[in-house]
Amino acid sequence: MNEKTKSKSPALSIALMSILTAVVVVFTIFPRIPTPIHGYINLSDVIITFSAFLFGPWVAAVAGGLGTGIADIIGGFPQWAVFSFLIHGLQGLLIALIARAGLKKGVPGDAKIYMQILGGVVGMVVMTGGYYLVGGFLYGFKPALVEIPLNLLQSGVGVVLGIVVSKGVLKAYPPVRSLAL
Amino acid sequence: MSDYFCLSDLSFSYKGYGKTEKLPPVLKDLSLRVKEGSRTLILGPPDSGKTTLARIACGLLPRYIEGYLTGKVLLKGEEIPASEPWLLADKLTYTGQNVQEQLLMTTCGDEVAFPLESLAIERQALIERVEESLNSWGLLKYKDVNPQELSGGERKRLLLAVTAAIDAPLWIMDEPFDDLDEQWRQELKKRLLEKKGTVIVFASRYIKEADSLFDNYYLLNDTRLSEESRATAFSKLQALDRGTALNIKMEKFHQNRELRCEQMVIGHERRSTDSTLPFTLKIDRFSLKTGEVVALVGPNGAGKSTFSRVLCGLKRPQQGSITLDGESIASSKRLAQVAYLFQNPDYGIFLSSVEQELGWSLRHSAVHSKQEQIASAAKLFDLNLDENPSMMSYGKRKQLQGAVYYILNRPFVIIDEVDSGITSGDASKMVALLKQRGSAVVVITHDRSFAKQIATRQYKIVDGQIIESEVGQ
Amino acid sequence: MNTNTFIAGRGFLYWFDARAKLLTVLLFSVMVFFPSQVVMLAILMALIFIVAWRAVTFKQALKPLRTLLFILVVMALFIPLNRRDGVALLVIKSYVIITKEGLNQFLTLALRLLIVTYLCTLYIWTTPMADINLSFRWYGLSYKVALTITLAFRFIPFIGETFTMIRDSHSLRSAHGESEGEKFHIKDLVPTVTSALVFALKTIPHLATTLEHRGFGSGLKRSDYKVLEAKGGLFIHFLLSAIILLTTFVLLNSI
Repeated sequence: MNEKTKSKSPALSIALMSILTAVVVVFTIFPRIPTPIHGYINLSDVIITFSAFLFGPWVAAVAGGLGTGIADIIGGFPQWAVFSFLIHGLQGLLIALIARAGLKKGVPGDAKIYMQILGGVVGMVVMTGGYYLVGGFLYGFKPALVEIPLNLLQSGVGVVLGIVVSKGVLKAYPPVRSLAL
Repeated sequence: MSDYFCLSDLSFSYKGYGKTEKLPPVLKDLSLRVKEGSRTLILGPPDSGKTTLARIACGLLPRYIEGYLTGKVLLKGEEIPASEPWLLADKLTYTGQNVQEQLLMTTCGDEVAFPLESLAIERQALIERVEESLNSWGLLKYKDVNPQELSGGERKRLLLAVTAAIDAPLWIMDEPFDDLDEQWRQELKKRLLEKKGTVIVFASRYIKEADSLFDNYYLLNDTRLSEESRATAFSKLQALDRGTALNIKMEKFHQNRELRCEQMVIGHERRSTDSTLPFTLKIDRFSLKTGEVVALVGPNGAGKSTFSRVLCGLKRPQQGSITLDGESIASSKRLAQVAYLFQNPDYGIFLSSVEQELGWSLRHSAVHSKQEQIASAAKLFDLNLDENPSMMSYGKRKQLQGAVYYILNRPFVIIDEVDSGITSGDASKMVALLKQRGSAVVVITHDRSFAKQIATRQYKIVDGQIIESEVGQ
Repeated sequence: MNTNTFIAGRGFLYWFDARAKLLTVLLFSVMVFFPSQVVMLAILMALIFIVAWRAVTFKQALKPLRTLLFILVVMALFIPLNRRDGVALLVIKSYVIITKEGLNQFLTLALRLLIVTYLCTLYIWTTPMADINLSFRWYGLSYKVALTITLAFRFIPFIGETFTMIRDSHSLRSAHGESEGEKFHIKDLVPTVTSALVFALKTIPHLATTLEHRGFGSGLKRSDYKVLEAKGGLFIHFLLSAIILLTTFVLLNSI
């Protein structure tokens, strides 16, 4: 398979995006880490960060956006679906764009660690800020403050685990590079 | 008559990632000529490359899985369009061994409809073809049901329904009789005989339906393909399956321990929408002593995996308790005493080398001879310490799973479908190795003769009850 | 993992065409965000709840309220306390706690939230996912994106189950003599997530080749197995949608 076939292949990009979307959904609904502050944090941000580092901005945006949107619909929060789609889509996009800034070749996961962290932090700001703004609009800005610590924790864990897991997967399954678009 | 389908001097190696650019060849200078309207059977022991060959023949490889292919695949004298595989959609249908890899949609009807939509079949005709194909495989009632809710056998039939709906002139099928029960195996044989077209079937074990079904027989082994008569093809396959004799020294480490269940009731979630399967499993008496090999048999969906999950502590029974050496043992404690090797060996793999995977098992132990233990386990299971597990063949990954648990050395071991995907010889060896230091081994298998060969006792699941029965029944 | 959001039933909402319904939900939701009287919002919410009650059971109709309970309580605590100017309603020891404006603001936000939530939820309950997907396509969503969504739904239960098996497999492997009660530890998270991702990634090439093997990728126009059929004609459904929206608009702006 040469580079030309791959980049023009709609089947491969659809396969990649739909599987990663499904993984985001599963990791949003399924494994939940209980926290002392109200509720659980989910692992969707881990997968979004992972997708950004291994597959780049567009895949991360679609997987993050569609994935969290679908998870909201399935999970009983359909009113949030559109907002999650936009917020996490933007989060995925920016993590990848920033991490790979200046990188000549390879995947964003090959970038220097501080660039990856920078991308991750921007992602955290977008995610927490996005949910704060929308929450403010829907509930009022003071009540929306309640969710900030939880969202920071979740997106922070997402960045750290995302970095660790993407390195692990690059080593454990080298063909992943050939899937990157 | 010119050849309808032809493989010409085919050689293939998968890409190596890391130290080697190219892995050792799977196929070397292979040639095959198939006449129009004929039925061909290609036999090959597990890991011989038959799925690789099947995929190459259909143009599915090396499209998104990297490898080096030389030689040609010719359909009606022309090379198949490997860079535009959709052109083959109405000419050739591949029915793979792993059904889940080929299911796309959320209802059975949509699944059958998808290729017909690609072929732009007009809507009314499309709807009729969908209903007809589903009906012919007994699945019409599942038209709006999600295939994930069906049993393994039903999903196989769904794949066959898709194949029937497309009705391409060439069918390439990898283990099509697998997972089907008796009634449907006969149906499949009938359809293959009635099929107006060319059929190539791949298999790794003897299939009795092969009698009077195929015109040509081939054996795939050690990168080569050879034409055989029916008798020699099967006898050679059997010899390869048996492997060589074993010589394993037993050690007395685990002794005189017994796991027991009495008067137990287990909740069993039904897999398929078939309402005749019971909701609970009842066990009157089950006992397992160190040093013995016990077979656990029963039809698909009967509850073998469910029972195993209870034994190893992943699931709690509704009633009854389990005792170890006479004392009741909680499920959380059973996790460390009862090993359970899942049917799919990939559930445990996450590290990048065999050495690391084996080392992971020892990370809690303070033993000094860790390196030696790892090296000797790798040697016993024919594994290369540097190899990356996700790049190894299925059979090797199964061996890795065995090696991981060999190192863990638990007193009780359950192996789910040990003989699927590897030769009987290798399966026997794995059981012997896991039993080597006195562990009790429960072998879940479909192959009654394998059970007879390897086990001293047997439990059978019949109508929701687990009862002791004679080995091999 | 259950991905099914549709609740079987009968009645107006089920008859109502998915495309017209979608437009109604969207525009209705937008309208409630414009300034309006609390009384009107309350009336609308009551009507919507009654419609929900008639479509599904009472217990089911309470579910969206339950998911919002926590945030509604937070809102009840913070908003009135934040807005204490104006006409006082509750005074404790000459300290104004609740004012009319504060209460008003809380009720407005709370009712808006409830209305939008119930509208979206009712849409999901009364429209099968396949129909929702087809509606989006009718409005212009490309086949490729619709297919991506369908494929995601197909794989969600499969990956969910796989994740459970992987988690169990790691528990078994990690268990040692001194294991405590918990089956699954946080430190098992990285191996489990890595395994699950490798597993998922391995399915991608097979999915891509199966799509192409079944004819996808040629760029040729596909036929359609399923199409949306509005009972009685699509015009009637959109007319109904217009009537609902107009009535709501008038009510919200009447006082």
